[in-house]
Amino acid sequence: MLRVDSTSFGRKDIIVNWAEILIQCLKETDTSLISFVPDISIDQATRRMEEDPFFHVVSATREEEAVGIAVGAYAVGRNSAVFMQSSGFGNTLNAIGSLCIPTRVPIPLFINLRGELGEFNIAQVALGRGTRPILDVLGLPHYTLTQVDGMERIVTGAIKLCHSSRQPVAICMNALLHGGKLA
Amino acid sequence: MLRFEGTKIVLRHIGDGVIVSNLGPTTDELWHAGHRHRNFYTYGAMGLCSSIALGMALSIKEKVVSLDGDGSMLMNMGTIATIGREKPRNLVVVVWDNEEWGQTGHQPSHTAMGTDLEQVARACGIQKTATVSNEEDLDETVQSALSSDGPWFIVAKIQEAGYMPVAPIEPEVTLHRMRESFLGPAKAAGH
Repeated sequence: MLRVDSTSFGRKDIIVNWAEILIQCLKETDTSLISFVPDISIDQATRRMEEDPFFHVVSATREEEAVGIAVGAYAVGRNSAVFMQSSGFGNTLNAIGSLCIPTRVPIPLFINLRGELGEFNIAQVALGRGTRPILDVLGLPHYTLTQVDGMERIVTGAIKLCHSSRQPVAICMNALLHGGKLA
Repeated sequence: MLRFEGTKIVLRHIGDGVIVSNLGPTTDELWHAGHRHRNFYTYGAMGLCSSIALGMALSIKEKVVSLDGDGSMLMNMGTIATIGREKPRNLVVVVWDNEEWGQTGHQPSHTAMGTDLEQVARACGIQKTATVSNEEDLDETVQSALSSDGPWFIVAKIQEAGYMPVAPIEPEVTLHRMRESFLGPAKAAGH
């Protein structure tokens, strides 16, 4: 007998939509090298990219390494992006501050924000809360996705701004978009 | 062996390939040994030299040589595992191993205390590896690495000498020059 849980069914439906839109935005901006450190909330997107021959998805051991790999791809003419969660954003700061900013490398940073509504892990709260203020101090634009509606315009627009301004731009995503990680 | 002499050996064999240089003396000496459009000089981001080279190698057909250092490699040893996982055939990592953090006061690094980076690379699944300590062996190994499939991981033991003048180069110009060599002027400028 098929059991239908209305709550989880609804969440699954949302996850499918946001991940598909995100992938479409990456394709429209010809962003084909993706480096990342795995995260359960954005796994729907990175797993689909791994199965899609358009992308070369590189699993890094640490987020600053992922930024370095993305910088290398861009330096030889290939658009790239990095996926991580907010705790991992903390690991990227020297790569952003001493490589991306002075060299003017436009890397879109997709950051899953932990530490917000429904967070169960106290260790995720400080950097989840601090990610956007840190981006502000570094002078880097950021946009936060909370719903599927209008998402395509924000993501594509953020990537275009990233390239035209030649500096990293962050696209933050939270549990309202993708359902979050459950305890 | 001096790093500067080793750098000249790599330049002699690189052809139209890319060289990525680690921050500090490695970048300065690459510029003095032979400035070219496909030299990607780094100025910061200690530890990321070979990660940058990996991203390049996965995106182009030409050979990519990373001129890394033992202290920097120790800071980001995970990238050796990622290279072993991705196995790009066109990537050659050269670690200038002076067994110290030269610029911060010549403190001994972990390679002076027994850490063997070649064995780390082999344990990460990189099969073509070598440790060399003189110019003749480096020349022969670099020639092999640039004329066969990799990835290659070469530890080159060096002696530290006096530092050369800081290379007069701007990071964003380095990036633009590199992109232009692959994309042409219009695309490199984003048009």
